[in-house]
Parts: sequence; C-alpha cells; structure tokens
Amino acid sequence: MLRYFFLVSVLMGVEFAQGQQVDVKERTLSNGMKLLMLERHHSPTIAGGWVVRVGSVNERPGITGIAHLFEHMMFKGTPTIGTRDAKRDAEIINEQERVRDAMRLEEAKMRLALRRGEIGDLQKPENKTPRYRELEVEFNNLIKEQREVLVKNEFDRIYTTAGASGMNAFTSNDMTGYFITVPANKLEMWTWMESERLLSPVFREFYAERDVVFEERRMRTESTPLGKFQESLEALFWESHPYGWPVIGWPSDIPSISKAQADEFYSIYYAPQNITLVLVGDFKVDVAEQLCEKYFGRIPRGEKKLPEIVTAEVTQKVEKRMNAEAEANPQVDILWHSPASGHPDSRALKVLAAVLSGRSGRLHKSLVLGSKLATSAFAQQMSRKYAGMFNVGGEAKEPKTPLDVENAIYVEIERLKNELVSGRELQKVKNNFAAMAVRRTSSNFHMLLQLIQYEGVVGWKAINTEIPSILEVTAEDVQRVAKKYLTKENRTVATYTRKAGVKVPDDPALAGLSADQQAVVRRISSQIKSEKNKERLQQQLKTMEEQLGQAGDKQKGLMNIIMVKIAERLAELSK
Amino acid sequence: MLVLVLVPCLIQAQEIPDRPEKLKFSPLVYDPPSPIDYRVEMPSGAIVYIYPDRERPLIDLSVNIRGGSYLDPDGKEGLAALTGYLMARGGIPSKPADELDEELEFFAARLSSSFSGLNGSVSLNLLSKDADRGFEILRAVLAAPSFQQDKLDLRKTQVIQGLKKRNDDSSSIESRERNFLAYGNDFWFNRHPTTASIETIRREDLLEFHHRWVNPKNFIISVSGDFDRDEMLKRLNRMLDPWPHEGRLAPDVPQRQQYGKPGVYIVDKDVNQGRVSIIMPGIRWDDPDYYAIQIMNDILGGGGFTSRITNRVRSDEGLAYSARSFFPGGAFYPIVFRAGFQSKSRTVVFATSIVLEEIKKIIEEPVKAKEILTAKKSFIDTFPNNFSSPAQVVSQFASDEMIGRFSKQPDYWVKYRDRIDVVDIAAVQRVAKKHLNLDKVIVLIVGQKQSILDGHPDHPIDIKRLTAGKVRELPMRNPLTMQPEK
Repeated sequence: MLRYFFLVSVLMGVEFAQGQQVDVKERTLSNGMKLLMLERHHSPTIAGGWVVRVGSVNERPGITGIAHLFEHMMFKGTPTIGTRDAKRDAEIINEQERVRDAMRLEEAKMRLALRRGEIGDLQKPENKTPRYRELEVEFNNLIKEQREVLVKNEFDRIYTTAGASGMNAFTSNDMTGYFITVPANKLEMWTWMESERLLSPVFREFYAERDVVFEERRMRTESTPLGKFQESLEALFWESHPYGWPVIGWPSDIPSISKAQADEFYSIYYAPQNITLVLVGDFKVDVAEQLCEKYFGRIPRGEKKLPEIVTAEVTQKVEKRMNAEAEANPQVDILWHSPASGHPDSRALKVLAAVLSGRSGRLHKSLVLGSKLATSAFAQQMSRKYAGMFNVGGEAKEPKTPLDVENAIYVEIERLKNELVSGRELQKVKNNFAAMAVRRTSSNFHMLLQLIQYEGVVGWKAINTEIPSILEVTAEDVQRVAKKYLTKENRTVATYTRKAGVKVPDDPALAGLSADQQAVVRRISSQIKSEKNKERLQQQLKTMEEQLGQAGDKQKGLMNIIMVKIAERLAELSK
Repeated sequence: MLVLVLVPCLIQAQEIPDRPEKLKFSPLVYDPPSPIDYRVEMPSGAIVYIYPDRERPLIDLSVNIRGGSYLDPDGKEGLAALTGYLMARGGIPSKPADELDEELEFFAARLSSSFSGLNGSVSLNLLSKDADRGFEILRAVLAAPSFQQDKLDLRKTQVIQGLKKRNDDSSSIESRERNFLAYGNDFWFNRHPTTASIETIRREDLLEFHHRWVNPKNFIISVSGDFDRDEMLKRLNRMLDPWPHEGRLAPDVPQRQQYGKPGVYIVDKDVNQGRVSIIMPGIRWDDPDYYAIQIMNDILGGGGFTSRITNRVRSDEGLAYSARSFFPGGAFYPIVFRAGFQSKSRTVVFATSIVLEEIKKIIEEPVKAKEILTAKKSFIDTFPNNFSSPAQVVSQFASDEMIGRFSKQPDYWVKYRDRIDVVDIAAVQRVAKKHLNLDKVIVLIVGQKQSILDGHPDHPIDIKRLTAGKVRELPMRNPLTMQPEK
C-alpha cells in the first residue's frame, strides 16, 4: 500500500513538497534473481513482469538488433508449449539450421556480388542465387513439416484462456522488459509460465520472426517521415558509444542474425542474477514470495560472467550538424551530451528542461508567444544507464526557418548561463515534480512499468529517491550544468526542411506568391477580418483600386488578393 | 465491488506440474459496479458520475459535452475543434490566458479542453488542496471563456501549419481515405478543415458555438478522487447553476453515410512498406448480433496472437509486424469492419490475399471449439479490467451515458458475461455469413504503386482478382484544400 510523507525541502521558497513513498518489498531468490512486490487491492488483478539488464547497448556490429529480436523469440514457447512432439520439433529445428548454414554461405556470395557491383539491393527477391532459391524450397518444406507438430502461439493461448491480458514486452538501449496482467487467482499460472520460458525457451519459427522484425523496422523507421533521420542523428551524435546503433538493428544485421547467436546471447544475459521479477496488484507478499522461489528458484544461476560495458563516448570536440530534407514541417532538433541517469547533474538538467518547457515555460513564452518564430518548442533530459542526452527543439512558424528557431533557442540557453533562474520559476517546476510523485500510481500496470524502467537503469529505489533529490536542486546547480553541458562543441544539430519536389500547395488564392508575400497577405487579411468600420474598408479599397494601375505585375497579384479580402469583409459586414 | 480470492496453501509441498492446465485455481467471484450507485442527476440537467477515493490527494474530473465537429457550419469546418481548444487556452474574464497558464502550472494543475467529432471535454486534474481555486477557474472556462483574439490567431496559424503535414505520413493518408471510402464524401467527419475554412472562422463564431452548445444540459461529468461526496455535489451544483446562456440540447448525429464501390484503391506514396485496409459494412453496438460478432472477430483477427489473421500473416509468413481486424459496433452510426496490416511493397498483394482467404474461411467453415473457448475467456475473465480504478469506473459509466447505453440497457455490464458465454459455434458462423459480405469488400492500399503491382515472384497473385470490383488509383489530396490533385 502507499503512504504519504511530507518532504521538507532545504530550498528557500519551497516550503512543502508533497511526495509519495512506493512501499515495495524486495527479496532475493536462492539463485540470485531479485523479486519486487507491491500490494494494491483496487481490483482483482495482478500486473506481473520482469526486466533483464540487457539491451542494444550490449550488442556489437554484426548482431545489432539481437536483444530486440530475442525479445520476440521469448513468446515462441518451450519444449512442452508450442508443439505436440518435442523430439520431432527439436530434430526439425536442427535440420533447419543445417539448411540455414548452407544459405548463409550463399548470402556471403550475394554480399560479394553486391560489393563487386553485380547486384543491387540484397532484399530484392530477384537477386537471390539459384542455389539459395533451392535451399529456400528445402527450408520451406521443413517449415511445413514443423507445422504438423506445431501448436500455433500456444504460449499466448494458454494465458488468454486463463483470462490474462495485455501480454507484451519492450526492448530499449539498456534493458528488456516483459509484462502481462492476470486475474488475482492466477498468480501461480504466471509463475509457471514465466519461469518455464526463462528455464527452457525454444526458438521455433526463428526466421519468420526475423522477417516480422524487419517489417517492424520498415513500419517504425523506414516508412515514417522522420524515422530514418532520427536514426542518422543518433548515429551522428554517438561516436564511440554503443548507443549509436538503433535498438531495432541495422538493416544489414537483422536478416543475418543466426539462431546460434541468439542461443549464445541467452546463455550470457538471461541468467537469474541479471533478472528482476516485479509484481503489482492483488496478492499477498508472503504467498507470492513462496511461489516465486518454488518456480523461478529452479532456474540455475548463470555461469558466464556478464560483460562490462567499457566503451564510453569520446569527448566531443566540434559541433556536428545535419540538414535533412524530409516530408515534414521545418524544425530543429538539438542534442547535447549529458551525464548518465545515476549522476546528480542529470537531475539539475531535468529541472533546467522543466524551466524551458510547458505553456508557461521559457521556450513557449519566448519563441511561440514573443518573437513568434515557432509554432511549438520543447526541452527534455533523456537519462540512460551509461550516458544521457539533453534535447531541445521546435517547429519553425513559416516562413521562419529552423535556423531562426535554433538561434532563438541558444539565446534562452545563454540566459540560463548568465542569470540565475528565479525563485518562483524554480518553485513552479518543483511543484510539478512533487505532483508527479502523487500522480504516478494510476494503475497496477503503469506502476509495474515504472518499477521495471527504474530497475533496468539505476535500481528501483530511485522511484522514491529521485523526486526528493530533484527538489534539492538549486538555481546555482541549474546555472552550473547549463554552463558545463550546453556548449557549442558538445552539441549535434539536425535541421529539417521540407523536401523539394514534395508539393505542399497553399491556399489557392495565394498560389504564385513567395513565402514572404504569403505572410504579408495573411497578416493583412487577419487585420481586415477584425476591422469593423465599413467606411474605412471602403476607403482602403478605393485607394488600392487607384494604385493598381501603376503597380508592377508581382504587386498586382498581391493587391488583387487583398482587395478580394476587403470586398469579402465588406459583404460580411453588410449582412 | 465484491472480490473474493482464496490463496493456495502449502505451496512448496506440491510438485511443479509439466503442463499449466494441471494447476488448480480458486474461483474468482467478481460483481461489476453498478452505474446507479455513482449516478446523480443535477438540477441543471447535467449527469454526474461520482466516486470518492482517498488513496491519493488528487481530484480527477472530466466534463464531457455532447456535440462536436458534426455541428460545424458549412464553410467553417474546424470551428468545434478551435472552440474546444481555446476554452481552456483563450483566457477567462478575470485573467488573460498567459497568466492563467502561469497560475495553473504553478500549482501543478492540469486543465485542458477539446472538441472532437462527437463530443467535447474539459478535464481538470489537480491536488485536492487546490480544489477551491481550481473549480473557480473551471467554472469560468466552462461558462465564460474569453477566446482572446491573439490566442485565436496563434491557434489558427498552428492549425493551418499542421494541415501541411496531412500527406507526410502514409498512415494519415490511409485513415483519411478509408473514411472517405467507408462513409462517403458527404458524411460529417469527411468534411475536413481547410485553409479557407479555418481562415474564415472569427471570434464571434467561437462565442456563438460556445453559447449554443456548452451548457449543463449537454454535460456528463465524471469525477473521482480525494473529496467528500456530498461536498463535491454541492460544489458541482454551484459550478453549474445558474448558467449564463440558454443554449440548446445537441441534436442527433446526421446519418448521411454512403459506403463506397467495392474494389481495390491505391494511393501512390513513396514509402517502402505498403499500408492496407480491408473494409466491409459494419454494425452498431446495440445490434442483437453484437456479442457473437465480437467472438467471431476475436477468432478472425481481433484476438492478437490467438487470432487467425495474426497467425497466418505474421507468425507463419513473417509478412507484417501488426495484422489485425476490428468489428467494433458504432454508437451513433454503424462502424465498418476493418482488417489491416503493413507489409513491404512486394508482398502487399500476397498478404492481402491471405487476409481475404481467412475471411472466406470463417464464413464457410465452423470455428473450432478451442478457438471459441479462448475468445470467450478473453472477454469474460478480463472483465474486471473494465473497472480497475475509481477514475476508470466513472469514465466508463460517463461514456455509457454518452452513447445511450445507460438509457437503453442499464444492466449492460451485469448481463455482459452471460451474453458472451451463450455464443456458440453455430452463432459465430451465422453472424460471419450475415455480416461479412465479401461482395462489398473494399481494399485500400497506400504505398509504392509500381512495386506493389510487381508483386513477389514466389507468390504471383493477380490483384484484379482480390475483390469483386475494379483496381483504381486514388489521387492524393491537396493537404490544404482536401481536393483531389490532378
């Protein structure tokens, strides 16, 4: 259950900040697996999940995307779930791997042909070698044979038939999380199912699932307006750090990851000492603990040493920039290197981001309301396990450009370096952080997700310590981190302009006018529309009619449009 | 809510069985909350669903308003949305918008307002200690928003610039064109805002829209959190009574929908994955076949990994990340059946043929007992999820009130599980035959036209034979006028 406490801040100006303690019970099972439990009895359900401390950061070139592909494979069953004949199923999987080894030899030939310029895209079906196609037929026959003994998606069916819902998982740079909601009387079902797939997963249908992941890549990254550019931006931003490759994996790597590589990955990272179980909902802590020990405790402790991430980001020495022509409105996205999640400066940067954000934040006030350079602007500190990113961006209000917005953002950044943030601004953002602690317990599932995310980065206890430590950040801290991190040589900038050739026709009445002229027409029309004095409008119309004769061709177009707008307004007023 | 769960004893003494079916579970008895216990009719005509809950020092309130963009006057498309957005963002008599934003953010309150197609809402979430000031602001936002001219101008600029993005993402093109094909050009939600319509909207239009439709007769309020029930009702009463404008009751939603000509429609867009929607005429939620249709659709493509479309398109063939079907049952008009997926250009036609094959199969052959059991359990045993928190209870009931479920079937939730439970194999086949009409199938594809038509050498499928109709190309629309190009 949850209880309240009042947190007295050391800061002048913040008298009270109300926080909320999340009363998690932590246990360690006999094999080193951690268990977090939070009882909540609102509804007869339990959100259950677990987090593995492995993500794309643990990969290497050649197998990028394996952590995520592996996450997909964890739903394929066990020796007893997913097949009617475990022995035959295992034999077929071995035969499939034999064929795949031969196919990999052909893939190597295809890559050679690509390097020699003999073929183009490796993904194009016409570019496969004849031998590869033969092998593909052989492989597909084995798939057909496997379907004879396969029980399709049985893992999911058992859960669904038991009334479980929302089964899913995610992979990030730092972690992989799995979760589901079960009825309160099915806690033992959860311990059975989850421990079984951790103990002996079977990676059947591996290669079809690899294709599914490639479709996921097309869906999220390749066929969205900004996906491919955001991927480029991160690759540009991180020079040496393994955060530089995308979680979903490079397009060359996804279709070449082998089942053997997945087996190896499992044996290193899916060890009990690298996993934390999380339960939130309607259960009793002692019962849950006993069940978890009984089921998860049978998984043998991993024998391999978990490799340490040693590659750190090199210190950036020069500003990096990219300009993308995209099917998108003009905008700018700026990233600065910032410290890892566990570093105290990441909290000062969170406060700094909050000072800039929101409807009464500095960016909105100055860029959207003040200079009217932008239609929107944002700031955020993104803290990951090994390093962070401070991010500010905004969309330019046409005909203003991404550069205009970028420069206005720097003015605000410089202000933060030169002047201390006011007491009231600081208190405002702290009030919001304090309220965040109160708001976060909306549902069992959301609580579970937050525990998983804290646990996967800095440990779950941060759910209770992070906000109090944010409330201790001072105006001097904010100024110090602005000076330390938000420098020119520490940033990478992406500007986006609308791709030439992708036509975005304007108001038909404005066609043929330059962007500046369009802006003039818009401004004048809005004045005209708010004009209530008919006589003044008629006088204007008359003056313009007189001037029209002497006007140049370009001006004529502009004047004609304005005259039409005045006439429309007059008609409106005469109604 | 009655909850009874018996816990298993002597956990360690028992062996771990080899199959999960061998586990024994205590029964779980669950009675849903009854709307009557939370519902209050206010003297002003507003309906309130109220649920005190002291777990957190927060109040969560939503004023749902009948009416929406279906009430936009011709030529002023976008008026409801602008009015909705600016109620909370355009200032109040006692305070200009910027100062109001400053004050609300200072006490960490969240206030927002909007109007979508069929209804509007003004939502307030704040710490209970700030309730007095919060409700004062809420009253002003609801009854006398200022609609400051500068805020209207800013919002219009943002909206017009936003219109330019309409063709950037293939998914926006897909959902827009699907609605044109499913409901016709004259249907209210296919009247899109354009640069011209936004530019003609004036402050007076917002005031008129507000005075006409935003009044307690159109309000359904859901409120939960840290308060005393009677005090909150008094507070709400003071907020709603008296009201400054006479106002009108929102009229019925117009029914001018027209389903399109069967066939395949392609929008040419340069992305390497095609997006596909397969549609057929649909139903309303109060259709007597609704429950059997829910089971049928769950087996066909609604149930995720336990459904046939996902199994074949995703798991078997690796052709899509997401492949599903929807048969929701509309509240104010019949909502079409829809199946959809995204696949690389060369396998779009092949994957479409698989989905159509599965639709045909569920019409022609009875489903398996195991499938029907899974589908029913997925509705019946997850039933408590509909009421997992006080906020969810009141918002569920407010939504029922909005769509007329409370007036038509006040015992809807009490009977729900039994109505699902009686669906059998014959019923599933009967509703599949009756409601899945392959002669009417429309397939919409957004993607690289030429690669899609090239198809895949291993799966040569003739696109012309997918449906009863022709294969046509749909022109891209001008994002600012919504008129088809060329």
